[in-house]
Amino acid sequence: MISLSDLGAAVLLLGMIMYAAFGGADFGGGIWTAFASGPRKKEQRESLFHAIGPVWETNHVWLIFVVVVLFMVFPKGFAYLFIALLAPLVIALVGINFRGAAFAFRHFGRQTGREVPPIARTFSVASLLTPFALGMTVTAAASERIRIVGGEVVSAPWAWITPFTLVGGLVGMAVCALLAPSYMTVRTEGALQDDFRKRGMAAGWTLGVLTLLEIPVAFLSAPHFAAKLFLPPSLACVTLAVAGGLTTQALLLKRKYLPAQIAAAGTVTLVLLGFGATMYPDLILGELSIDAAAAPRETLLVFFAVLPFGAALLAPSLFFLYWTFRGPPNPKTPAG
Amino acid sequence: MDNVIAARALMGVSLGFHIIYATIGIGLPLMLMLAEGLSLRTGDERYHRMARRWIRPAGLLFAIGAVSGTILSFELGFLWPRFMEQSGPLIGLPFWLEGYAFFLEAIFLGLYAYGGRRLSRRTLFLCTIPLTVAAAASAVFVISANAWMNTPAGFRLEGGILADIDPLAAMANQAWAHQAVHGTLAAYAATGFAMAGIYALALLRGRAPDYGKKALVLALAVAGLSLPLMLISGDRSAAFLARHEKAKLAAAEAHFETRAGAPLIIGGWPDPETRKVRFGIEIPGLLSLFAFRDPDAVVTGLDGFPPDEVPDPRLVHTFFDLMVASFFFMAAVAAWFWWRRWREGEVPTSRRLLWSVVLAAPFGMIALESGWLVTEFGRQPWIVHGVMRVESGVTPNAGMGAVFLTFITVYAVLTVGLLQMLLRQPASEQEGDSGEARHDQP
Ligand code: HDD
Ligand code: HEM
Ligand code: HEM
Repeated sequence: MISLSDLGAAVLLLGMIMYAAFGGADFGGGIWTAFASGPRKKEQRESLFHAIGPVWETNHVWLIFVVVVLFMVFPKGFAYLFIALLAPLVIALVGINFRGAAFAFRHFGRQTGREVPPIARTFSVASLLTPFALGMTVTAAASERIRIVGGEVVSAPWAWITPFTLVGGLVGMAVCALLAPSYMTVRTEGALQDDFRKRGMAAGWTLGVLTLLEIPVAFLSAPHFAAKLFLPPSLACVTLAVAGGLTTQALLLKRKYLPAQIAAAGTVTLVLLGFGATMYPDLILGELSIDAAAAPRETLLVFFAVLPFGAALLAPSLFFLYWTFRGPPNPKTPAG
Repeated sequence: MDNVIAARALMGVSLGFHIIYATIGIGLPLMLMLAEGLSLRTGDERYHRMARRWIRPAGLLFAIGAVSGTILSFELGFLWPRFMEQSGPLIGLPFWLEGYAFFLEAIFLGLYAYGGRRLSRRTLFLCTIPLTVAAAASAVFVISANAWMNTPAGFRLEGGILADIDPLAAMANQAWAHQAVHGTLAAYAATGFAMAGIYALALLRGRAPDYGKKALVLALAVAGLSLPLMLISGDRSAAFLARHEKAKLAAAEAHFETRAGAPLIIGGWPDPETRKVRFGIEIPGLLSLFAFRDPDAVVTGLDGFPPDEVPDPRLVHTFFDLMVASFFFMAAVAAWFWWRRWREGEVPTSRRLLWSVVLAAPFGMIALESGWLVTEFGRQPWIVHGVMRVESGVTPNAGMGAVFLTFITVYAVLTVGLLQMLLRQPASEQEGDSGEARHDQP
């Protein structure tokens, strides 16, 4: 029988997957803005910039979703994680702020012909830093370095820095770097499309190598996590993720862009599902179980009672948003 | 810096920063909706152009609202984990509902702001409706969480632990209704005045766009309708405090001694040592009248509480008076404007009147910030009134001073960048807010 708290953990994981799949692509856009290269450098930047514009605030809300689910459904987990992981969270937060602001500044500057202040150039730096810090934060929950004794976090403030979490940070960056160009291939044409195709493939290989590297690193630095990786649910996800990654590569190679986009998002989903399956039934590996972290039953009940209503409002609105901004704008409609 | 002080200061600064952008995020959608609606109704294109002009700076301000709000939700965790560990199951619900409101707001904002070339005019207008509703809803929800801290409900205390949790009862706590009404209206009043000031200034400089007067009237209509409602709801809030948050009211009114026929003290500097208010104006019996609708009623003073359980009247009283004084200043200017508008039958443009609108413009935001400081300082030393003290809610992590400095820097950088963007003249002179002045100068 699946318990309410397990379902809550599933919603938490869903939020993380959504944030990775949508918000991650926005950060990826920033990463490829920083690494734009070749003769179409400028076009690459422009197209990334235009694609992110209308959707980044919506995509960003998934992060809030994750935080709220954490403190409503797993208040203990929220408290411990935010005590133990203060530093990476502050770094991620600073990055999120600078990136959001820099993006809005650039957009406004472009609309009104105003010069953009220097902070706007932090867009790309912040886009590199934030996924790295968030990747470290997430993997830190599995790093076996957060120690809780008698309701107190007793681990040292920097204990979360391990080879395992460092690779985790890189995986976070690679996820973003894969998604952005994969999504861009659908929105662009010709040589530019090919630029993004190549970038997607490069990032895909990088992500594959890093996730596979994480396995031996885990044996050295997070042995319990490593051991659990070979239990059937995790193994299934990891295998499927590898298959998904290879499929993405094949599809990009054959220029089947729409399915490639879906395969890329699927791969990222599987990586996170694999992580979740390996963590189960713990929220902080070895220290705090999902059940022990969960809020009282009454809270879980209202949480799930709201969910369908919220989803019923949200799903059509989200669909309308992405559908409206799917292709290039209709030139016949006058500019508003 | 002391850890608790640093945490409190950081929370206060972060909220004070966020609320500026959140306020615009609530007020501006309403103005957009009205302008787009009027444009469709009257066929006057100027309303539409006005709204589309607002959306550029608004996009900038909304983005800062979203990222600064993100800081807040993280701060609940890294500043107040002990508080959230206990309260999360109770106040999680309004935040959970607020999350949906944020989604809808961001979605329809994206559609409205970027959809100019993709959506029909009618659809653009229709997008402003869920935008306005979702923005107001997000305020109403988050205020429920704050009201719960003031009048906690929906649990039983069992050895310092909250038991028998009822999140619905927690959300419907006693203070929610008055705070939500007063707090949401405040956003409309503050936005209305700020925008009125911008257009009044443009008219004074002769650089207003062709829709300048219409925008001024619209902004002052929103503000002018909100203000009387603010007075009524503010009075209700004070009467509520007199029953349920007595220490806060005593501090707000600098009322030291419990007594019948309590006077209202306007202005002055309360001195906790001598328990006297220096330089204040006293009006006999008025506080009792406001609090209990009876000039002879007994109003509990600060002496009715243990000395370590009272807020600091120097802060609370000063900000309370600042809020009320701002109200009267704005109300006077709005009344003058509408009286002249009614008398002359057209938009009044006398320089004196326009200058007073400009002067009154920041006071909406000043009143709003002060009101929140009354609420928050007035709750001290409690993080949850009567249940948990601030020191018990704070993080065990040392080094909050450094975190404080980090975020102060972030806010400073964001503010400087924002001001540079908004104030710097556009590269091409014809662009920007005064761009349309060429067409037909009013
Ligand atoms: C435009 C802004 C504005 C204006 C003109 C006023 N207020 Fe206000 N007031 C606020 C904006 C505000 C607020 C949004 O900042 C607060 C903070 C918490 C809340 O619910 O609303 C507030 C709180 C607040 C409280 C504390 C409520 C609590 O802690 O539960 C009282 C007693 C008043 N107000 C009373 C008044 C009175 C008597 C006013 C007019 C004469 C007035 N306010 C004008
Ligand atoms: C947006 C307007 C608000 C402003 C300007 C504001 C301001 C402040 C200030 C100045 C403090 C520090 C008080 C002190 O320690 O002396 C504070 C504390 C706090 N506020 Fe608010 N606040 C606002 C709204 C809210 C809301 C809506 C919540 C809802 C959850 C909230 C939650 C808190 C918490 C948890 C603390 C820390 C505990 C404490 O010091 O009492 N605030 N706020
Ligand atoms: C009375 C106080 C508050 C009001 C009226 C308020 C209202 C708003 C509004 C209207 C927005 C949308 C901003 C925009 O698009 O411009 C917003 C954003 C946000 N607020 Fe607040 N807020 C308040 C306090 C808080 C507190 C205490 C928290 C968290 C602890 C919070 C968390 C957030 C978050 C996370 C966002 C970003 C949502 C997004 O990504 O779009 N707010 N708030």
